[in-house]
Formats: sequence, C-alpha cells, structure tokens
Amino acid sequence: MSKFKLVLGAILLGMVFSSAQNKQLLYDFYEIPQSQLLNPGARTPYRWHAGLPALSNIGIQVGTSGVTANDLFANDGIDFTTKVRERVVNGLSQNDEFGASGQVELLYGGFRNANRPNDYYSFGIYSEGFVAQYWPKDLAILAFEGNANNIGRRFSFNHIATQGELVNVFHMGLNRKLNAKWTVGARAKLYSSVFEFKSAGNDGYFVTTQGENNILRNSLVADVSLQSSGFQGIFDAADGEPADLASLLVNRSLLGGNLGVGFDLGFTRTLGKRSYLTASLLDVGFIHHNKDVTNYTFRGAASNEGIEFILPRDLNNLTTEIWQELIDELEQQLPFETNTDSYISLRPIKFYGSYRYNFGEPKGRTKICDCGTLPEEKDTTFDYVNAVGAQLYVINRPRGPQTAWTAFYQRRLGKVLAVKATYTADKFTLSNIGFGVNLQAGPINFYALADNLLGYQNIPNSNYASLQFGFNILSWNRN
Amino acid sequence: MKKRIFHQISVLIALCMLLSCGDEQNFDQIDDLSVEPVVATSIFYFESDENTINAAPVGIFYVQNFTFEAFNEPFVGDNILDGSITYQLENTTSKRLNMVVEFLDANGMVLDSEMFILMPEQVLPLEREVNYGVGGKSLDILRNTTDIRVTGNNLDDNTSTSSLQEPKVILRTSAEFRLKLQ
Repeated sequence: MSKFKLVLGAILLGMVFSSAQNKQLLYDFYEIPQSQLLNPGARTPYRWHAGLPALSNIGIQVGTSGVTANDLFANDGIDFTTKVRERVVNGLSQNDEFGASGQVELLYGGFRNANRPNDYYSFGIYSEGFVAQYWPKDLAILAFEGNANNIGRRFSFNHIATQGELVNVFHMGLNRKLNAKWTVGARAKLYSSVFEFKSAGNDGYFVTTQGENNILRNSLVADVSLQSSGFQGIFDAADGEPADLASLLVNRSLLGGNLGVGFDLGFTRTLGKRSYLTASLLDVGFIHHNKDVTNYTFRGAASNEGIEFILPRDLNNLTTEIWQELIDELEQQLPFETNTDSYISLRPIKFYGSYRYNFGEPKGRTKICDCGTLPEEKDTTFDYVNAVGAQLYVINRPRGPQTAWTAFYQRRLGKVLAVKATYTADKFTLSNIGFGVNLQAGPINFYALADNLLGYQNIPNSNYASLQFGFNILSWNRN
Repeated sequence: MKKRIFHQISVLIALCMLLSCGDEQNFDQIDDLSVEPVVATSIFYFESDENTINAAPVGIFYVQNFTFEAFNEPFVGDNILDGSITYQLENTTSKRLNMVVEFLDANGMVLDSEMFILMPEQVLPLEREVNYGVGGKSLDILRNTTDIRVTGNNLDDNTSTSSLQEPKVILRTSAEFRLKLQ
C-alpha cells in the first residue's frame, strides 16, 4: 500500500475517532469520585475513596463532525472516488473536525480531613491524549483537482489546523464546604508532556492567475508553522530496543518530560432546597517545551511565471543553469526551516456549568434538608431520587471555543444504583443520547458511561460515541 | 438483591451488544480511489525587441540552451498521465521570424521540437497546443527532457523597422499535466 493510501486511509478512518472531550455524563454525577476531576467544587458524599490503579477511569471518545465511516465505506455500489469527492473533498468545511482522545487514570484517591471534616482532599495521576485535526478543505481541493481548473481561486493555508498530545498529569485537589450554600474546590496540576504537536493560526494562500508576461502566474504567500516536542526522542528510541522506548515513555511520564503547571476551579451553589448551580474551569495552565523541540516554519512570498529571457537585458546571461537559479530563488523567498526554540503551549481550557433540580424524597431519609455544614450533620449520601437539569460545556480549540449543551435526568434506584440519561447537542451531532450507571456494591463502586446510544443501531454511521468506565473503593459519609 | 442487579445489568449490556449493528462496510474500496489533479504552470517566456534582432546578422539572432528538470523530476515522471504544452507567439517586428523550441535529453540529443514561422507584424497571437500521452506525443519525451533550447531565426533583413509601437517578438509557454497521486 502506498504512503498516500496509508495517509488517506488514516485520515478517513481517523474521522471515526473524533472527540469533543465532553464528559457530560460524568459531570456532577457526584456519586462517582471522578466527577471531582470535572468540578473540584462538586459535592463529596464520601469519607474516603481509592481508585483501582489503572482501572479507576478508562475513557475514550470517538466521532466526527462531517462524515461517517458509513458515508464512505458502505457497500453501496457507488464509486469510491465519487463518494470521497462529494462527501469529503467538497462536502466537508474547514470547520469540520476529526481526531481522538482518551484517558487512563493511573492512581486516584481522596480522604476527608478528620480535623476539618468540611475539607476533602484528593490526589492522583492520569494520562490523557488527544488528536484534533480540522479538515484542510482548500488544500484537499488543490490535491484532488489541481490548480488548472481553479484559475483565480485562492487556496488558503489558514485551513491548516491540527493539535495533539500525550501528557501525564499529577494533581492534588481541595474541596471545601464553606456553608450550607457553597461548596468550592481547587486542584493544582503538574503536567509532564510525553509529546505534543500543534499547528494553528496559519495564514497565506496559493493562487494561479493570468500572468503579466507569460500565460500563467503562480503566487504563494505563506505563514505556516508547526511546533512539536518529544518526537525525535521517540523515533530514536523506536529504532532501538523495545525496552528503550518503554523506558523513555515512563521517564517522560514521571516528570522527565517537558513540564507545566495549571489549576482547576469549581463550585456548587445551593439555590433553595432542591436546586443547585455548578460551574468549573479546568486546565488553566501551560507547558513549557524546552526538551526535544523541533519547530517547522514555512514563511515568505513568491510569484513565478517561469524562466524569462528578455532581450537585450539577458543577452549576456549565457548560463545554462537558469532552472536551478529559479529553484534557488524560490527557496530563498520561501524558506522551509526548522528550529529548536523553546515554546509555551497553553492547555485547552474547558468550562462546565450546570443547573440541577432535585425532586422526590429518598426512602428512609431522616433529615428534611441538606442544610448542615458538617458532613456528619447532613444526609448527602442519597439526597435525591430524581434530578433534572441542563449543562453547558465549552472548550477552547485552535479555531475558537466549541460548545455543547446537555439536558439530563438522573435517578437513584435504592442505595445501590444511580443512573443518568443525557441529551447533548454539539457540532458533532444533534441526536446524542447518553446513559450512565453507577453501581455501589458495598465498598466497591463501578460506573460505566456511554454516549450516543442511537448510533449503536448502525455503528459505522454514527458521528460520535464515547465510553468511560472505572472501579473505585469508597466509604460514604456517615448519615 | 445485589446479585439480581448485577444480573439485570449484564442482561442489559448483552442486549445492547446484540442490538448494536451496522451496515456492511467494505474498506477495500480505498484501493479504488483515484486522485488525479491537473496542474498548470508557465514554463518560459522569451521576448526580444526589434533593435536586438537588427543588431545581429541575418539568420540566427539568439540561441539559448538551459537546463529544465521539472518534467524528469521523479514525482512528475512517475505520476504523469497526460498533458499538454501551450505556445503563444506574437511578432510585431517587420520581419519574418522562425522560432524553434527543442527538448533535449541528458546527452544533448533532440527528443522533440516545435517550430513556428511568424509573419511580419503578426498582431494576432499564434497559439499551438501540443498534447502528450494518449492520442498525443510520447510522454517519454517529457520524462527524458533535461534541457530546452530556444532558437530565434531572422528570415528577412536586419535593417527594416516596424511601424508598430515597441515592435518585438514574444514566445509564451505553459504546461498543463494530469498527475496520478493515487
């Protein structure tokens, strides 16, 4: 299989693996300790918790905003090139996106301060990675059609936008119930980057027009760059023994990579007896990349109408290397350069917000309200039977913020089971129905959250799907 | 109780897995993908005023041999399907001119040539499109071309002058090729 095929195949298949990184099912599902990672100010109805190492949270999100695998690979008898031309090259816009994201929690625990029972501490390590690729529409059209039938059309380089990384995060959070109305939290983060690449904010164009002297003029104006770190070391290690690569990845994961710092903030505000307002701001921080950095730049401007002989001006120019001189001149005007300059990358900041209304009285509830300040004074363990509400999610991406709106219904089924159903609308899909279940069997906590269930009717035709699950051991607050 | 709930969830998950399905997919279709862009660019531009032609003896007033390795670049040579080269010529001088474009290989052998006879004060441009590939000349001409030679030949005198403003001879060339990327 040719390299072109491999790249194209990876892109087309990669469209199946897109992600908005939204975890709407987990957000404010506070029976699950991992909800603290989405809002450090979420309620904490436990005395302590411990995640099963490497199994406490495994998640992957998949999807695409413009085309599905079924659109391309369905055995429908339509010519494949026609499908690609109509549904991908001409069908997608530069704002369509594909990629992948995943998260594995290596360690996670938390405990309530015995002396200050309003404080709950949590800490842990998780690895997360993602790839986000916007569809480079103009460049795809140029590659598919060429410039001959697109005279006068500017092929824009600002359609190039891509980003990806693998990072290990060490975190420590404090959750404090200030009073009956407010619970606030903050989490400090230390990032250890394994690798990263990012190309955004590109500019420029390629255009073919009628020439001033000759028949055609090709003009190229470029301000394109790609920042990357971590790759050369990985490539070098991959050429050696497998143990070398494993050793490198472990080293980089354990603070041996490019380092950064950040924080999360969040709160829960009680509105009356049954309503809650929550919000959180996640990953406000940066990573300073100064190790194994390779940056690529392509900047400049050039126009060309071919080789020129204008007499009498060029009568004495008898060199035969005019072609090479032209190439050299173009390379000088449009240098493709690399450098190892350090750079700072901002984390993709995320915002969550929600309004929640509880209704229905839990069976056997002994207190009439959740109004105590101290955990011992309140019955937070199961303080609702039903809950409905809405959530907002915003993430900062290379092309600006992306938003998702979610409506949810949550229900407790006894003391063992809690379920949450969501409807989410975002750029990937308007028919995303998700379902999550949290099961408490003694001290063992298991949860599983799955998105876009309607897509399971025809998985290849699904625009988006996600799955997240994990095991914890926890102890509830005393009622 | 717990056992029953576990059992119910297991049944639910199994049911979901059974209900999940998909249309038949054929990922081998990617082998049928055909990506064949048509690229266009100018090749060279030649211009000479009448004074320069008059300054030379009658006959060949200009000959230039130059390397041109765009066609035999491996990427182009390996992927070219067909194409054409377009020539546009104008002659506003007072002379009959003969312009020749020759394609040479690395040994200096002439692989192909195009000759144009231009009448004096030929205001309307002469245009010729030469096709390569199926129905046209052999693509090997292009694949093996490493040099181009341009020759200007004055078929008349070197004393007359044109009544037109800024008399000159112009030769414009461009190429348009279909490449198979996939």
